[in-house]
Amino acid sequence: MRKRFRRTREFIDRHPRAASLSVGVIVLAFLWATPASWQTSTLRLAVPIALAAIGGIFAEKSGVINIGIEGLLIVSAFSSIIAVYWLGDGGATMGVSNLWWGLLVGILVSVLFALIFAIVCIEFKADQIIAGLAIWLISLGLAPFASRIVFGNPNTANITRFGNVTVPGLSEIPIVGYLLFDTEPQVYLMLAGTLAGWYLLSRTSFGRWIVASGENPKALDTAGVDVRKVRYAAVLLSGVFAGLGGAGFALGTLGTFAGGGDTAINGRGFIAIATYLLANYHPVGAVLGSFLFAGLNSLQTALQSAGYAIPHELVRTIPHMSVIVVLVLVGRTRLPDAAGDHYESGED
Amino acid sequence: MTESGPGTTDGAELATGSEGDTADHGTDMGQTGTKTGTGTGAETGAGTDLAVHLDGITKRFPGVTANDDVDLRVERGSVHALLGENGAGKTTLMNVLYGLYHPEEGRVVVDGRERAFDSPQDAIDAGIGMIHQHFMLVDSMTVAENIALGNEPTKWFGLAVDREQIIAEITELCDRYGFDVDPEATVEDLSVGVQQRVEILKALFRGADVLILDEPTAVLTPQEVEGLYDVLEELTAQGKTIIFITHKLEEATHAADAITILRDGESVGTVAPERTDREDLAERMVGREVLLEADSDPVATGDVVLSTQNVAVEDEWGVDVVSGIDLDVRAGEIVGIAGVDGNGQAELIEAITGLRTPDEGTVTYEGTDITDWSRRKRIDAGMSYIPEDRHKRGLVMPFDLVENSILGSQRDPEFAPDGRIDWTSVRDHTDDLIDTYDVRPPDANADASSFSGGNQQKFIVGREFERDPSLVIATHPTRGVDIGSTEFIHDRLLELRQEGVAIVLVSSKLDEVRALSDRLAVMYEGEFIDMNDPDAITEEELGLLMAGEQLDEGANSASSASPADIQGGESR
Amino acid sequence: MSSDSDGQGQVRRLLERLVQASAMERIVISIAALFAAVLVGGAFVFVSGGVASCRSGLDVAGITFCYNPMQVFYELFLGALGNPLQAGWSPTNLSLATTLQQMTLLLFAGLSVAVAFRAGLLNIGTQGQLVIGGFVTAITVVFAAPIVPDGFVGAVVLIPLGVLVGAIGGGLYGAIPGVLKAYADANEVITTIMLNFVAAGITSTLLSWRFEADSPNPRTERVPEYAEIPTVPGIGFSGRMDFSLLALGFAIVLMVGIAWLFARTSFGYELRTSGIQPAAAAYGGVNEKRMTVASMTLSGALGGIAGAFWVLMVHGYWLENVPSIGFDGIAVSVLAGSNPLGVGAAAFLFGLLKSGSESIGTATSVPPDLVGILTGLIILFVAMPEFFRMIGRQYVDVGSPEPARADGGSVPADEAADGSGGEDDA
Repeated sequence: MRKRFRRTREFIDRHPRAASLSVGVIVLAFLWATPASWQTSTLRLAVPIALAAIGGIFAEKSGVINIGIEGLLIVSAFSSIIAVYWLGDGGATMGVSNLWWGLLVGILVSVLFALIFAIVCIEFKADQIIAGLAIWLISLGLAPFASRIVFGNPNTANITRFGNVTVPGLSEIPIVGYLLFDTEPQVYLMLAGTLAGWYLLSRTSFGRWIVASGENPKALDTAGVDVRKVRYAAVLLSGVFAGLGGAGFALGTLGTFAGGGDTAINGRGFIAIATYLLANYHPVGAVLGSFLFAGLNSLQTALQSAGYAIPHELVRTIPHMSVIVVLVLVGRTRLPDAAGDHYESGED
Repeated sequence: MTESGPGTTDGAELATGSEGDTADHGTDMGQTGTKTGTGTGAETGAGTDLAVHLDGITKRFPGVTANDDVDLRVERGSVHALLGENGAGKTTLMNVLYGLYHPEEGRVVVDGRERAFDSPQDAIDAGIGMIHQHFMLVDSMTVAENIALGNEPTKWFGLAVDREQIIAEITELCDRYGFDVDPEATVEDLSVGVQQRVEILKALFRGADVLILDEPTAVLTPQEVEGLYDVLEELTAQGKTIIFITHKLEEATHAADAITILRDGESVGTVAPERTDREDLAERMVGREVLLEADSDPVATGDVVLSTQNVAVEDEWGVDVVSGIDLDVRAGEIVGIAGVDGNGQAELIEAITGLRTPDEGTVTYEGTDITDWSRRKRIDAGMSYIPEDRHKRGLVMPFDLVENSILGSQRDPEFAPDGRIDWTSVRDHTDDLIDTYDVRPPDANADASSFSGGNQQKFIVGREFERDPSLVIATHPTRGVDIGSTEFIHDRLLELRQEGVAIVLVSSKLDEVRALSDRLAVMYEGEFIDMNDPDAITEEELGLLMAGEQLDEGANSASSASPADIQGGESR
Repeated sequence: MSSDSDGQGQVRRLLERLVQASAMERIVISIAALFAAVLVGGAFVFVSGGVASCRSGLDVAGITFCYNPMQVFYELFLGALGNPLQAGWSPTNLSLATTLQQMTLLLFAGLSVAVAFRAGLLNIGTQGQLVIGGFVTAITVVFAAPIVPDGFVGAVVLIPLGVLVGAIGGGLYGAIPGVLKAYADANEVITTIMLNFVAAGITSTLLSWRFEADSPNPRTERVPEYAEIPTVPGIGFSGRMDFSLLALGFAIVLMVGIAWLFARTSFGYELRTSGIQPAAAAYGGVNEKRMTVASMTLSGALGGIAGAFWVLMVHGYWLENVPSIGFDGIAVSVLAGSNPLGVGAAAFLFGLLKSGSESIGTATSVPPDLVGILTGLIILFVAMPEFFRMIGRQYVDVGSPEPARADGGSVPADEAADGSGGEDDA
């Protein structure tokens, strides 16, 4: 058993691409085998995890570990609902549906929090993990606080969610058509965000700078690129992606926001972190990984609705337990060399 | 340290420093007759084509003057060596030229124009490239990605990196200078020598005409050093100018067209290599006559204290980094292990000291098989260990010396009866250490991080030697340590040997291992390739052995019949 | 600065010393962080008052700001002490009892986080360890009660038993991420957060499986009254039975014990060394893997004790809706710089905040969740000492950004002269 375990880890160490590819194939096969309603719900549940994971990849690749991504999901989800509620549920402002304005507000609030986090870490050399925890705890208090002020209750009111948008023609494609081209806007955003994240990271010079900033910031600095600017940009990008994920999840999937306890986000930001570690920082891998965790989430819903006698409290923790299993299997992921370290230009 | 006169025989004139000579700052090039270095063979007078001229540079740090009125004139198309001991101010001077530091006084002239560099970027724009000792490369990226980093040509209105163009430019550079580097290779898969070429290419890609190399040979094998010399030759032939920083005499004499020597932040002169020799250079560098020979009277050796049989260590990828090591160390002898860094010495020592379990073989200590013993048990059994990295292992940097003095003996009944530490007796012990081993400043309450390298090392040496060990493993005990402390540590090692302690000395300093060792093993790619009486082998031969070459049967060859076996050293 | 001989100069020199001294600096930064958090929190309260609806408030530019931050903080801090500025104040008032009750629990939780932190591990899982520990305590005491005599004997047997099994339960649960970290390299921050969710799931499942009492709130059966932590006779906190000075005393003894463990024992020395420089610890003969498991177990046990006291002192039963004492423990430990004695002071402060949140809930219309925000803000500010150093430097010309080097004498000469500090001569 132990030997097999060690071999698995060695295989993952030596062939990260093959390993993630095979995981991806397994996940897709698993998804494909599930009923259509389950597939749709998996895609929707994957939205916050996938987008937060891509955001986390940018920050961590640049050398700033953004453990506060859970907090970014919370504030963006909550503020987008509030914005829609204020602008008028089901209405439109300046010819654009209030849902889209809500999405924008969610992203902006998330970016604002990311900016605070970036300043604290880059300007004031804060310990990234502790600062990230602080962002999470602030968000955890902020959502129910604001909700009580507006609604007198830690939970917000309900709003009308995003509806399906069907792409004519493409939605007729067998197997994937109804999944990818007859779905809700946040799923489209997730797919577009994945592609954008992948392209930005692997094909542009900015992507190279991010990688260099996380691996060897001094090399980037001596090459004449300002490491601080690169890290600011990366952390703000993580705010954009997380904001998109949180707001899209709230406006498209939830339609309301429960602020009590662990809030409606319920650890999805942390699951996103485990997801990108599992995917070895590859955006596409992270999205496939998010399908895995979201699939387990919808498994829980499916089991419950099927009336199996498994206690729902235990089923609810399946994604969390699987994160632990995944971390044990993957073991120590190779973090970017300079991740977590403050960089000061001119130090020699 | 006494200021030596020129007492040399080969006639190279030496201007001793430039004290009392600060009046003529800013004199133009034609009037530098009184300045340091003029009149030596390499120096041609005014009017020559100087690529770089540093004129009267003074750079101070709080409490220290790192550069004191230093002059440096580098001719275009030449290789100029900057020679000096650690702390002589070589790197500081080059950082001034590279725009990292602003000098308090003096001028930086490049291509005949005075410059004021605010940042390395300005220096790069002026055609200066620096190859740092620790390469500025991103290991996980490809050669091409590294070379173009920060200067990527783009296409599609900046939306994508133009990889084809980068590769084409690199191929062109490689062709011109005769480099054999694959632009698509990942840097971490390349040998150190090739990585250095990538660094040079990076500077050339940015249009450097003057290349500064900081201790370029520190991490290279001897063959790679030869390769580097060829590269330097090719570069200068194409009109590039090279400045390299070194403290190795033979490098300076071998590769340079001119040598400027720094000592204690001052320039001691510029000489041409053909008009000097190593003894002369060493004397100027150190400032007094150099005695490398330590006193090592023969001692009667006793029983075997440490013995390893067929020890092998695999790295995390399952590759053998140490294989088939047999080693016996007797009481009262010093066994040296020489080799270029990274040939398995660190892993072998970790296997002996208990920081790592060997994958094969056994380690025997005083007749007991200790292969599976914990580090704790080995310490308790009297094994002392001076680690290679004092900042990471040897000292807990934020702890004061009192707390550091029991690192390793924190469970010793002498200091911690029944698990409770008796800090009063620990403090007395610390004061004794500071006193006996001359740790300065003598402040037991100061954090370890506040001491200089030499004093940190003296403290570690004291702590380990006062444990009353029967075996001492000393790895690079004088690395980064000033000369005074080095001599002190050498003397203590020899004293212990006199007292009958078994000692293993790992060092990449040839003179150190040769002078101290009774027997000397050379380690190459994880194996002992030879075992010698250090007195019967020259440094050149040792260098060849370290490069993995077998010695021919010659007059000086003292190779034993079975080179891989160094067991059973005879009494001397 | 030498020309300063007036009072201002003296203050300056004092400030300068404060900016430079590291132990003192920590305390100053913690206090400054607290003030900064209160300031930002106050501004936030004021602004959010503009959103809330109320009948009377401060009108500025047509917006009614409902909340008065001064009043909020007055209630938060003084309300939590029972308004000591008013006549007839007694130290045994209800609010102070709540403060001390919260302080007791936070002391255990803060020590739990601090022990792991000093060993170089970030245990976010104190919450989960507390949930498990409290649950094990409740069911053990409930099931052991019938086979133990009542009254005094029962108390003497059941209370220590309950605390002990709570510690064991929490300890074992804390050992899990320790083992995962030591033997599978799984990052303890993520695993402990996940284990918090898992702990809630497991206990809820067990509760509904067979331990649930008949009550509108999901909870276990109540332990016998004699098995609750007894109050000290004579000092009645306004008749309050859910706070005991004995418990606080026990927490303080434990705090001093942990401080002693760190400073005076070989184990404490090894634990601190592992936290600062793992490679040096290994060199010094510390088995890192075992130290990881041991410190996480100790940390978890302290979390479990927090859970045991929450059950045996506050409610007398285990409640599914566990307050976030474990997360507040992180804030306590961070504010205290993981110094055990500092944890005592920080626990009192957060006890004030917790108790004060009840006061603002009754005296004002500001949502009590404000305390959660303040907690986060305090952690955020403590995490950025450089911010306060920069402010300090605005007023004191320290000259060098590295305080330790400003005295010049201790600069390693050979390194400074070299500029690079590390010219290897290999």
